[in-house]
Amino acid sequence: MSDPVLLINVLLLLLAIGAALAAMWTRDLLGAVMLMGIYSLLLAIEWANLFAMDVSYTEAAVGAGASTILLLTALTRTGTREKAGPNFHPTALLTVLVTGAVLIYGTSDLPRFGDPLAPATVHVAPEYITQTVGKVGATEATENDFGDHVPNAVTAVLASYRGYDTMFETAVIFTAGVCVIIILRPLAGSARRRTAGSKEDA
Amino acid sequence: MLEYVADALMILGGFFAFSGSLGILRLPDFYSRLHPSGTSDTLGQLLILGGLSLKVIFDSSGDGLSVGKLVAISLLLFVTTPASTHAISRVAQLSGLKPWTGADSKEADFSQKEEDTNE
Amino acid sequence: MLNAELITALLVIGGAFLALLRAVKGPTTFDRVLAVNVFGTKTVVLLALLGYIGDRTGFLDIAVLYALVNFLGTIALLKFVETRRLG
Repeated sequence: MSDPVLLINVLLLLLAIGAALAAMWTRDLLGAVMLMGIYSLLLAIEWANLFAMDVSYTEAAVGAGASTILLLTALTRTGTREKAGPNFHPTALLTVLVTGAVLIYGTSDLPRFGDPLAPATVHVAPEYITQTVGKVGATEATENDFGDHVPNAVTAVLASYRGYDTMFETAVIFTAGVCVIIILRPLAGSARRRTAGSKEDA
Repeated sequence: MLEYVADALMILGGFFAFSGSLGILRLPDFYSRLHPSGTSDTLGQLLILGGLSLKVIFDSSGDGLSVGKLVAISLLLFVTTPASTHAISRVAQLSGLKPWTGADSKEADFSQKEEDTNE
Repeated sequence: MLNAELITALLVIGGAFLALLRAVKGPTTFDRVLAVNVFGTKTVVLLALLGYIGDRTGFLDIAVLYALVNFLGTIALLKFVETRRLG
């Protein structure tokens, strides 16, 4: 109760777990796709709460937008009902449990969140910060990768140090735009055909 | 004074958002569930985001860009929420979903069950 | 401690929970689409509220993105339900 953001975080994570379990249990695949969309929405808020804004953008655009469309495209090739049968696969459960245990074991070696002595803070970050912050409008010519033109440390890292990463992220966003065009383009025509067909039926 | 107005707007908006969802959960039929979705949700987001804009304006740290974004979000939702509700109801009607009238409740219950099993 | 933003955020989360229940229960596909749409609206509002509570303006950009993606996702779902194909 002391920290409102923490309280909201816990509530949202409980909702996300509920949505994921419901998506697992339902036999209606279309419903499962929609529940996965809800799950992505909740996770994007969580990423934003953890200060991971770029991950949150990607989760919002890809998780809730593009992957819903991909799964729907897959559903057009199959049916929307799950095959009846046993819902319990011991091998899959074992794999997931082992992977989860290994990941949790791995987190014990990570430095604490915000630790000033962590390798990430000690090695790379000071170099980035000294090269960008404080060099805005510098009069003397200095040797850095940006020629004193990038005022924002985050922009400097994204556009220069992680240029390829950003380039392919842009490709992802382009793909999302193409998806939007694919969805919206033939909508009017097919709806008209549908209306005409139903009128003929009546 | 305006702080309290903003608080009241936000809590009223939260009430509308909650009661709209309650209606979506409790109402008996798809077409009746359209009402809370289209109306309460639009009004709720308008009140909450309006209250937030007031708060940001009267905060010492208030900046115009945030207010502009809040107004943009509010306008966007104000247009898209009724539009999507309309689109959902239109597709439901085109695909032959019958409204529940209450007169033939046994038949309606039966069709509802059938929908449940082989949707 | 319990200020207006927090009360509103808790109310919106409660509403999101109810919408999630409707999305799980169905019974028809249209109920689910409606619930997902409502859930998206709640998420956008919640993002704006959280941005104010945590004093982070970056949340608003994500909220704008969500308001757009949510509408497009609803239209895509409806298109699939109506014609059983995309594109």
